[in-house]
Amino acid sequence: MVETGHFALVLAFALSLVQTIVPLFGARLNNQRLMAVGGPVAVTGFALTALSFGALASAYASSDFSVASVWENSHSLQPMIYKITGTWGNHEGSMLLWVLILTFFGALVAAFGSNLPATLRANVLAVQGAIGAAFFLFILATSNPFIRLNPAPIEGRDLNPILQDLGLAIHPPFLYLGYVGFSICFSFSVAALMEGRIDASWARWVRPWTLVAWMFLTGGIAMGSYWAYYELGWGGFWFWDPVENASFMPWLAGTALLHSAIVMEKRSALKIWTLLLAILTFSLSLLGTFLVRSGVLTSVHAFATDPTRGVFILCILTLFIGGSLVLFALRASRLTAGGLFHPISREGALVLNNLFLTTATATVLVGTLYPLAVEAFSADKISVGAPFFNLTFGPLMVPLLVLVPFGPLLAWKRGDVFAVAQRLMVAFAAALLATLVTALFIDGASVFAALGVGLAVWLILGALTDLAVKSGFGNVATGIMVRRLLGLPRSVFGTAFAHLGLGLTTLGIVGTLCFGTEKILSMHAGETVELSGHTLRFVGLYPAQGPNYSEDRGRFELIGVSGSAIGEISSAKRFYSVRQMTTTESGIRTMGLSQLYISLGDEGKDGSVVVRLWWKPLVTLIWGGGLVMMAGAAMSLMDRRLRVGAPSRRRKQASAIPSTGLP
Amino acid sequence: MLFWVIAAILTLGASLAVLLPLAAGSKGTSSTGDHDLEVYRDQLSELDRDAARGLIQPAEATEARAEIARRILRLDNAAASGKASTRQASVAARLVATAAVLAVPLVSWGLYSQLGSPDLPSQPLSERLAKNPADSSVDELVARAEAHLAANPSDGRGWDVLAPVYLRMQRFSDAAAAYRNAIRLDGDSAVRRAGLGEAIANAAGGIVSADAQDAFEAALKLDPATAKASFYLAMALAQEGRAKEAVAAWQAMLGRLPPDSPWRGAIEQALAKSGSPEVASGGATNGPDAGDVDAASSMSPADREAMINTMVAGLDDKLRQNPRDPEGWMRLVRSYVVLGKADQARDALGRAIAVFGADSDEAKKFTAFAASLGLTATE
Repeated sequence: MVETGHFALVLAFALSLVQTIVPLFGARLNNQRLMAVGGPVAVTGFALTALSFGALASAYASSDFSVASVWENSHSLQPMIYKITGTWGNHEGSMLLWVLILTFFGALVAAFGSNLPATLRANVLAVQGAIGAAFFLFILATSNPFIRLNPAPIEGRDLNPILQDLGLAIHPPFLYLGYVGFSICFSFSVAALMEGRIDASWARWVRPWTLVAWMFLTGGIAMGSYWAYYELGWGGFWFWDPVENASFMPWLAGTALLHSAIVMEKRSALKIWTLLLAILTFSLSLLGTFLVRSGVLTSVHAFATDPTRGVFILCILTLFIGGSLVLFALRASRLTAGGLFHPISREGALVLNNLFLTTATATVLVGTLYPLAVEAFSADKISVGAPFFNLTFGPLMVPLLVLVPFGPLLAWKRGDVFAVAQRLMVAFAAALLATLVTALFIDGASVFAALGVGLAVWLILGALTDLAVKSGFGNVATGIMVRRLLGLPRSVFGTAFAHLGLGLTTLGIVGTLCFGTEKILSMHAGETVELSGHTLRFVGLYPAQGPNYSEDRGRFELIGVSGSAIGEISSAKRFYSVRQMTTTESGIRTMGLSQLYISLGDEGKDGSVVVRLWWKPLVTLIWGGGLVMMAGAAMSLMDRRLRVGAPSRRRKQASAIPSTGLP
Repeated sequence: MLFWVIAAILTLGASLAVLLPLAAGSKGTSSTGDHDLEVYRDQLSELDRDAARGLIQPAEATEARAEIARRILRLDNAAASGKASTRQASVAARLVATAAVLAVPLVSWGLYSQLGSPDLPSQPLSERLAKNPADSSVDELVARAEAHLAANPSDGRGWDVLAPVYLRMQRFSDAAAAYRNAIRLDGDSAVRRAGLGEAIANAAGGIVSADAQDAFEAALKLDPATAKASFYLAMALAQEGRAKEAVAAWQAMLGRLPPDSPWRGAIEQALAKSGSPEVASGGATNGPDAGDVDAASSMSPADREAMINTMVAGLDDKLRQNPRDPEGWMRLVRSYVVLGKADQARDALGRAIAVFGADSDEAKKFTAFAASLGLTATE
């Protein structure tokens, strides 16, 4: 079974070579048969990669320690779920997941791309195949998950305890779906450059793919943030860590792409810019993969001593980013630019959005790469932390967020900013009120906190105003309004939900940063502590035994007003003997939208324990907002206009609509 | 065998995915313009829907409709001019097709023969633990015993059997835990206590700690003839720097032990290590081990001198890093005197005195010691 998986992987590599070369020649020679090879090969390649991944997962599930990667990252006593998630909890397996998702997207283009022009489809599949071939080669040459050990060890070295968590089951697959999803936009862009023309269907295809990738990336980042929040025991939700930035940069660029793709789809404008943005977004995904997978982050110098993997990815990076940018430089002038628009219009607003988002991306890029450059050229190791990003990224985001509610309300081509401002009066008044209430009635609220709350309310109500205006709220009878609301295109809901989610996340961040409280103290069993109106009694430390760890579980009782216990929170320190590692299991109790967070520290000699407590108001909104954004993307994806464009099948239907009035 | 069959089937399937589209007759396909036209039509119908819903003003709708119509017109122009190049290079196409069909089996089998281990079957842990014990390796037997004990943790006999195996496998902390379980479940015995002590001592890198001493003393209480316990307790004395007592204890053991006891060898080795006063004070961990001494006795005089010089240089180095070791300084001074290097001996003495201060008790001891060797601090 293991060797079958290995063979399937090699075979998938061979097919990816065919997928690169044959459709490419087909498109050059305008040969239908050669172009037709791309589809079946992409689907078969995906099936083989899936078989290979399945074989590796089954080796993990059955603790087959004759596979080196299983021996290094698994243990027979781990619960089954972590044995399986361990498949992608290591370098080799996660790269296999990467190509699995890449071939999956290639297969989707093959399966649903029948409505694409033949040469475009062939070129897209060829570019997708080339990316696949590069990464298959990378896996086989430097990170083969199917290397065997003979004789096989009897016990594995266990999975990194931090990864023994449900977060690992969801976070990497979502993140990779996002990263790799942008590869389709990239392939479409490079294909368009190779052909020297942008089809109208190109514009239609790029947007749904961007939406899919963006949706999963949003989910992946939100999940990763929550995972770090509860697993690392520091109570923080974002650390501006290079690994986080690696996923955040494609997200920022992808958000810009999502918006410029709207302009391109609706108005045929900004075509060249959108194309460039698609290339840049996937380039940032590749850069993220390089940063995380090459080991360059741990230490530039350690990377230099064992550079095989890093240099290999760097070559892939140079080939695809450099190649596509050169192609862009050569061909972009040939592409025809699209329609014109007035600066104050929906298009103008989206351009502004793009300006802010790309500048923000550049800021994060600098903050992430600068320390690496300093380390490479001198002996110093510096870190660019939150202060840098607060000073640069923050000021860029605030004006963008202020402008967000205007965008969807502006008309295409020529907008009337005063009419829009008038419509937003209610939201503005409410935001002002929220700011004043926060400043006057909440103790310890700073000016920043009050303005932050106002901004969040402005975003939330702005998003709702969009829906209200479009359904004719206040102008028509309630019945008609409801009917109109339900009849709105799904994409309108998508926009509103995505912007609503942004507002909720902002509210969560402001609430946690400005109104959260924190206490660190040493507690004996039986002592009580009070934090922001909640009384906790430390019951004591209790040892317990897990399947592959032992733990000291600290139990806390939440004391109600009457003095009796109304709930229990427990936090533990776990010791994993195989890796000799300790992890902290934080104790979290959600109350409404807020959370009480407990993390155990070291044990004192006299039986006391260091306890860290946080009260985190509205903290769940940070990730809840992410979920709402995902829901918005999903709604936008369901919009009917995105399922369009197959000439042969839909011709009759289309001409049956009388209002088109065209032959 | 089965693997090769599967591999062949997979290769066949992959090759067919390349071959079939190449062999199929080319279907009449639509041109690019048709696709674009379809998109524009749809944009028009969407525009109408938006206008009906009141999402867009009538004037803007008319303008947008005109814009889309212009795009459609442009499309017709492009379609008229773009129908020149058809297939001309069918030879090249055939070449690419042949290469592609051949590449799939050649690349895959070629690469796999370099990378794969086709003869190695899958080895799921459950299967390995279920096979006949006679075919199992020691590791597999231990794993099986561990699985049994994980299910029946109160099987004292099981722990008792496993504990010495752990000791031999150098899994010392596991051995200590196993001995403790055996003692808890099956009662105390001198063998188990002594084993526990050995496990604790080895887990600490050979240092006989207080915990280990307790275990050995308990063993001796149960059975005063437990050689292992006596041996390690003597080792503890040596490690505390009480070399004379340790040597006495070992020599007493040699007197008591039956002639065929396996402990005789170990004791003689330990005595050899601590035999000469030069090395005794450093305890078991410093100084040359029995192997080094054996090697020295069968060497040529030149080689032997070279070895001794290296050892002395090593001691000198060690004292530069950890200078607060009076015994060590005396050994160094003495070594230099024995080697006939009076200058270096004097230098070492000076450094030793400097470390502890000229007025300290150690300094006085050093001066007296050097005098007994015929050496003075200054010429």
